[in-house]
Amino acid sequence: MGLKGSKIKKVLKGELGLVLVLIFIGILFSILSNYFLMPKNLLNITRQISTNLIVAIGMTFVILCGEIDLSVGSVAALAGVATGSFMVLTGSIYLGIIAGISIGMLIGVINGILVVYGKVQSFIVTLAMLGIARGLALFWTNGKPISGLLEMFGFFGAGYIKNIPASSIIAIFIFFVAYIFLNRTKHGTYIKSIGANREVARLSAIPINRYRIFVFTISGILCGVGGIIITSRLLSAQPVAATGLELDVIAAVILGGASLSGGVGTLMGTLIGAMIIGVINNGMNLVGISAFFQQIVKGIIILVAVLVKRGD
Amino acid sequence: MEQAILKLKNIYKHFGGIKALRDVDFSLKKGEIHALIGENGAGKSTLIKILTGVTQMDEGEIFIYGKKISIENPVVARFKGIAAIYQELGLIENLSVAQNIYLGNEPTKKFMGWTDNRILLKNSSDYLKEFKIEIDPNRKVSELGLGQKRIIEILKALSINAQILLLDEAATGMSKAEIDILFKIMYNLKKQKVSMIYISHHLEEVFKICDMVTVLRNGKNVGTFKVSNVNKQTLIKTMIGREVYDEYPRRKLKPSSDVLLQTEDFFAEGMLKKISLKLYKGEILGITGIIGAGKSELGGALFGSVKRISGKLKIKGREVDLRAPKDACIYRMAYIPEDRKNQGLFLAHSVEDNLLIANINKIIVGKLFLSLRKKRIYAMDIAKKLRVIPLDVLIRAQNLSGGNQQKVVIGKWMIGNPDIVIMDEPTRGIDVGAKTEVYNLINELADSGVGIIFLSSEFIEVKNICDRILILRKGAIVNEVKSDDTSSEEILTIALGGNNSR
Repeated sequence: MGLKGSKIKKVLKGELGLVLVLIFIGILFSILSNYFLMPKNLLNITRQISTNLIVAIGMTFVILCGEIDLSVGSVAALAGVATGSFMVLTGSIYLGIIAGISIGMLIGVINGILVVYGKVQSFIVTLAMLGIARGLALFWTNGKPISGLLEMFGFFGAGYIKNIPASSIIAIFIFFVAYIFLNRTKHGTYIKSIGANREVARLSAIPINRYRIFVFTISGILCGVGGIIITSRLLSAQPVAATGLELDVIAAVILGGASLSGGVGTLMGTLIGAMIIGVINNGMNLVGISAFFQQIVKGIIILVAVLVKRGD
Repeated sequence: MEQAILKLKNIYKHFGGIKALRDVDFSLKKGEIHALIGENGAGKSTLIKILTGVTQMDEGEIFIYGKKISIENPVVARFKGIAAIYQELGLIENLSVAQNIYLGNEPTKKFMGWTDNRILLKNSSDYLKEFKIEIDPNRKVSELGLGQKRIIEILKALSINAQILLLDEAATGMSKAEIDILFKIMYNLKKQKVSMIYISHHLEEVFKICDMVTVLRNGKNVGTFKVSNVNKQTLIKTMIGREVYDEYPRRKLKPSSDVLLQTEDFFAEGMLKKISLKLYKGEILGITGIIGAGKSELGGALFGSVKRISGKLKIKGREVDLRAPKDACIYRMAYIPEDRKNQGLFLAHSVEDNLLIANINKIIVGKLFLSLRKKRIYAMDIAKKLRVIPLDVLIRAQNLSGGNQQKVVIGKWMIGNPDIVIMDEPTRGIDVGAKTEVYNLINELADSGVGIIFLSSEFIEVKNICDRILILRKGAIVNEVKSDDTSSEEILTIALGGNNSR
């Protein structure tokens, strides 16, 4: 291919390449479906990806720090259940939301402490937590959804502000804050450094344990937010909600260019990765591809993305 | 005269700008034990790596039984009958002794190539008996001591019928009894006409077991001797050589008498004995010893990187408790670790990110946000001062040469204006020009009142750079010398356990 070829390859590997992929998929679906490009559908896509994006932002923190969090789907469901049952119990939307976010945060802290002080790999700790949190959600509700939530609560997941879905606005707000935090504060630099090489970070006087716990806490809190939005949208807390969410979320982060070994990745990449997955899901539904086949397509896309990146 | 089994001619090897081997000739006879000695960085390990196919030489020829060969990779080396035992072990801890000995070379049944465990066990137990080693072949390697492990490793090498055995610091860390067993095995092998290259820092071992000795210095073969015709003094002199001392700039000022750092009966994880030492303001305190003497452990413990178990550590007269490097930084300490690539730098991050990571608070505006402009200014400022080449703080650290990488590691701490700097082998693997620049930097720092703990196993460097030198052996300080009253030969003699020790 020569010099020119390698240059093109380099561009394609960056975020620009991802945008091109997104545009390509967009064009493909707009040809296949007349409905795809309509403003209503595009806004719908932003609503559909908002939960994934919020949880993926937390996952980006975790992966950048060289760890992984497999428990996100279960934690989101547990947070949703907590929100639902507290709301029913107290009749207050705010107490429900506080309960949901608190339980997400609590589980994040527990994950972090087990990883750091228990010295167990995050893959194993969070795999166990995936089971525990899901079990708690099912046990708490006896496996049945909690319904009868306040109508007003539905705003977060299903409401609109001037035609824009509220959940999309929440996601964009969180993205903005996380972006500034990761790129413009020392904490972001420290997190990336710990992921790049923990020993160098430690010897550079970075309090690595504090930050490792912190990233799991952030992930837990954002799972709480995600779980609340899912619950709000359905106006019912489902203990089986967000099953398999971890796969879509990790796929978005990896698609966005992050490395599972840590230190490499950007929030912008995660945003585009989440958009690609959202567009594929939406487009395949519009075109009428079966839900079973959709799983195959998504799996292949992840494999191709990783194979292209591997050429470094 | 016996025919040479292995012959090396005009071997050259460069790593970046560093000449690791220059025009090296070497010859090994059948059934000979040939010692390879020299200071750290003299090129011994590079030579071994070339012979085992781990790296490739730039120029030169290798002959086995007079036939020219090339060793492209470790598999070829093994096929040619060359096996190596390294300082770091290559055994799989979870497998049994027998499984390790035959790893990759298992006796198999005809059916589907399944391992024949019965033969595996019988062969290895015969093997162990042959060398009179009392280890149960069923035991897991993880249950064995270091010396036993190394012996198993030698047996593993022999199981492929190695004709040439390379032992790189094989006796390091072994007890005296284990070394005796090792020597017995080597002697048996010699009788079986196996040839061996034995790398060691311990001259006593060379005199005890070797037939020939070759000395490397700065990548050159500076002499090959018959062991029976040479004495320790000659070997030491040849190892050190006559160096041009101009590459070691002299500092302008003398250390003051204010104590900056002091330890009393200091004892930490990985160390063998209690250490008491003092560091004065503006002093360059050398701590030296051969590999395994405990320098790095001591340096790490002083910085709080390794856990302290007992004893006192005082900084400017105040007793402190350092639990982690971040505590040491509060007392304005800095640490330049031995392993630049794995401990000093984020290789994939930019030079400016590396320079600011330990002092990131300097570029924070409004209590939270990083100023990219300030980052650039600070990074450029220090990069210019340290003459980092190329002067581009946006490139990744991995794209710099070793010497310039080291400047970045030093620069990363200089930004914080430390009072105490601990440097572990700060000039390892960098070329002569860059070395002199690093020495100049160290002198400037010391002249400005910084106390420097200079850990190095290059004796000439220690002698010429430091004001005062502590010599470690087996984890204990065995002597203290003033650099003006000593020579690098004397330091080497003490470090090796010569007569001058207390």
